[in-house]
Amino acid sequence: MLTIKNLKKVYPKSDRVAVDDISIELRPGEIFGFLGQNGAGKSTTIKCLTGILPFDGGTIEICGYDIQKEPIKAKMNMGYVPDNHSVYEKLTGREYVNYVADLYRVSKQDRTERLERYLDLFKLRFAIDKQIKSYSHGMKQKICIIAALIHEPRLWVLDEPMMGLDPQSTAEIIAYMKEHCAKGNTVFFSSHNLDLVKRLCHRVAIINDGHLIDCFDLAGNEENKANLEERFFKITGTYEKRLFEDYIAQEQAEMRPVLVEDDDAEAANSSETGAEQTGDAPKADMGGERK
Amino acid sequence: MKDSLSWASIKSLLRLELRARFGSKVEISTKDKIMKGVNIVFTLAIYAVLVTGIYFLTDMFVKRSSLRFEFLVLATLFTMSVSTLVAIGNVVKNLYMSGDNELLLRFPVSGTEILIAKSLYCFIHNVIINAMLTLPFYIIFGIVTSAGAGFYFASLGIMILGVFVPYFIANLLAIPVMFVVNLVKNQFLLVLIFLIAALCGGFILYMTALTGILEYLSSERVGLFSAEMIARYQAFAHAAYPFKWYAMLLNGKIAGGFGAQDLGLAFLYIFLMTGVLGIGAYFVTTRTYYKTILKGIETEKVSFHKKLPNVCRSVFGTLVHREFYLILRSFNYSFQYLAMAVAAPVMVYFCNNLAATMGKNTVGAAIVPGLTLLVITIFVTIIVSFASTSISREGNAFYHTKIIPVSFTHQILVKLFLYALVGTCSVVLCCIVVGAAFATEKAGRLLTPLDVGCIFCITEMAVLSLTCLSIWADVKSPTFNVSGDGELVAANKNVALSLLVGIVLAVVYGVFSMVFNFVPLQIGETVLIDSMSDIYIALSVVTVLILIASVCTLFINLDKRYLKITP
Repeated sequence: MLTIKNLKKVYPKSDRVAVDDISIELRPGEIFGFLGQNGAGKSTTIKCLTGILPFDGGTIEICGYDIQKEPIKAKMNMGYVPDNHSVYEKLTGREYVNYVADLYRVSKQDRTERLERYLDLFKLRFAIDKQIKSYSHGMKQKICIIAALIHEPRLWVLDEPMMGLDPQSTAEIIAYMKEHCAKGNTVFFSSHNLDLVKRLCHRVAIINDGHLIDCFDLAGNEENKANLEERFFKITGTYEKRLFEDYIAQEQAEMRPVLVEDDDAEAANSSETGAEQTGDAPKADMGGERK
Repeated sequence: MKDSLSWASIKSLLRLELRARFGSKVEISTKDKIMKGVNIVFTLAIYAVLVTGIYFLTDMFVKRSSLRFEFLVLATLFTMSVSTLVAIGNVVKNLYMSGDNELLLRFPVSGTEILIAKSLYCFIHNVIINAMLTLPFYIIFGIVTSAGAGFYFASLGIMILGVFVPYFIANLLAIPVMFVVNLVKNQFLLVLIFLIAALCGGFILYMTALTGILEYLSSERVGLFSAEMIARYQAFAHAAYPFKWYAMLLNGKIAGGFGAQDLGLAFLYIFLMTGVLGIGAYFVTTRTYYKTILKGIETEKVSFHKKLPNVCRSVFGTLVHREFYLILRSFNYSFQYLAMAVAAPVMVYFCNNLAATMGKNTVGAAIVPGLTLLVITIFVTIIVSFASTSISREGNAFYHTKIIPVSFTHQILVKLFLYALVGTCSVVLCCIVVGAAFATEKAGRLLTPLDVGCIFCITEMAVLSLTCLSIWADVKSPTFNVSGDGELVAANKNVALSLLVGIVLAVVYGVFSMVFNFVPLQIGETVLIDSMSDIYIALSVVTVLILIASVCTLFINLDKRYLKITP
């Protein structure tokens, strides 16, 4: 469905190799997670495979079509949801979806049917005939998702898709990702949410400093699922036993501090002010103890 | 409890405003430094030309015609009018349309503090503009009249006094302007019709007045400084309130023939007028500003609801439809492009009419075809220059042009088609207008049908060439500097470049046609150009070559160049 071989990208006027020798192959019907820290090269890889950025080495094939040699056929099989949700804000939601549907040659019947379904799914019916510039962040994200799906792409690429979405929409997207893959299509998405990736993806790749470090199965492999966080932290060079234990503890534990009574808070504040005035050291923990 | 004003916050906000407008202290590259330097030199050169013009004007009015007071009245009228127009634009842009109000309100600052900081910025801006406008007049006036130190002190005082009235008027008018803009904001067609009407109306008014003055001067055989004209200037100056009051204070007691009482009253009137306008501006602004920004009446928040059925279009059709609607639904773009395209024939008619009448009377009727070619090409250049933002205007949504399954060449062809279509319509209308106006028996057959046909062919080819070059320039170096509303903040260098190329082309074509219609072009004994037909053939050949070169420049390696564009 998607084959990336030895991808290399260097930005103009930059010495740093943004992406170096990345190779991934995605199978039909799988949800593939793409992990990495900020600036690791996730978005660059996605921009290369969607045709936004030219690249300096390697090949990318989408459904057997080379993105450089046969870009139109390759793009026909792909739907892309960007991380910044930028769209033509002067158009209404319906105009934008129709515009995209025209470009992908979707018949009137198909687009009407799909649009109706997505409007109910993403609860956007009330805003579809309004100008996009009046949409909220999450609504723009939803209209991007609808436009990316209007031609039922075989490869659905999403760059950090859950950012800014309400819980209900997140659940709907997750459900739709599963449904999309059940039809034999593929989903490729980048995320920082390790927990979501662990629960949703069949496979995952971890990228660090432009290099693909690890790619492994999650579906049916409980050990990999259990070790995902640790592997991620180690690969990205941020592993520190204490921090990692903190992270795991935070994932599993209640984190809210114990509420401080008004009187206690005032007392604490005044003692803190007093401490500042007298030059004493402030109290170390004002937030109550953690469970 | 009401929070007290924090001057530290106001100072920070003002500094932020100044940084945002004039750039922070970031290191810039040598190339940018050079460009900045060239820009400054160019601006200074234009300013120097203006100052020279003012000097000659002052000399003519004050020394040769002894119209000292009248000159001061006219200068005050001019400077205050320009200053007021600039101030209105500045206040509307910075107070209500800057798009950063929402961002600023997230900080621990009050609406009042934002208002004060922005108002201070606008005021500083106004002081600078006012100084740049008035100082050349006052200094040159002082030099020409050999005025003493008193005059310079008085002019400094008047300059300071003169800052307030335009600024207060701007504040008073900004709110109604914003309300009207927001009221009609989504009536795109209505706005377009209004813009066209305003543009044509303003231009017709200006040209009619200019023609009237020139005709009057030529028919009455009076000069700009004949006794009759001097009497008219004097009558105007004595009735031109409130500008007269400022001129009286500048002119002083001795030279103007005004008594101390007159000057005192003039000062009182200015003081009262400024006070009343200031109080009005204060109440209007403080009572409406916070509400205005809170209610989100900033234009970027105003959207519309339009229910349409799902419609299927061809790829070409849908791309044209999108491009056209993005232009039509933007106030700025509609004005810059569509309104100009529709109004161009009107402007061409009036400009050509005036120039042809003047030229015919002085040089001869043979000048008219060349002049028409010059005028049409200049106006068409202004319209076509809009194509040089065709990529930049995609703004944040530029990535979309890369991911859609449509080749870059196809997308550029769509843009070329739309801009060429609008340009062609404008050229056709211009040619019909000049044909109807100058090729008739009644008009003295200043143009023949052959002239009109050839002018159409040449300008049409020029439109296509300039459109190609404009798009090429934007593909080469687009500037995705868009505002919150997704519109380009300001015209980029590509616009200036395409305007320059178009104007040079127009001047070369015009001068070539005008000169060689009188003087044959020959090398040795061989006469190369001897009639208007020869000129048209020569220009057509040159234009065809330019067109071929432009098309090749745009389309060769286009896909490769387009792919390299990264926002």
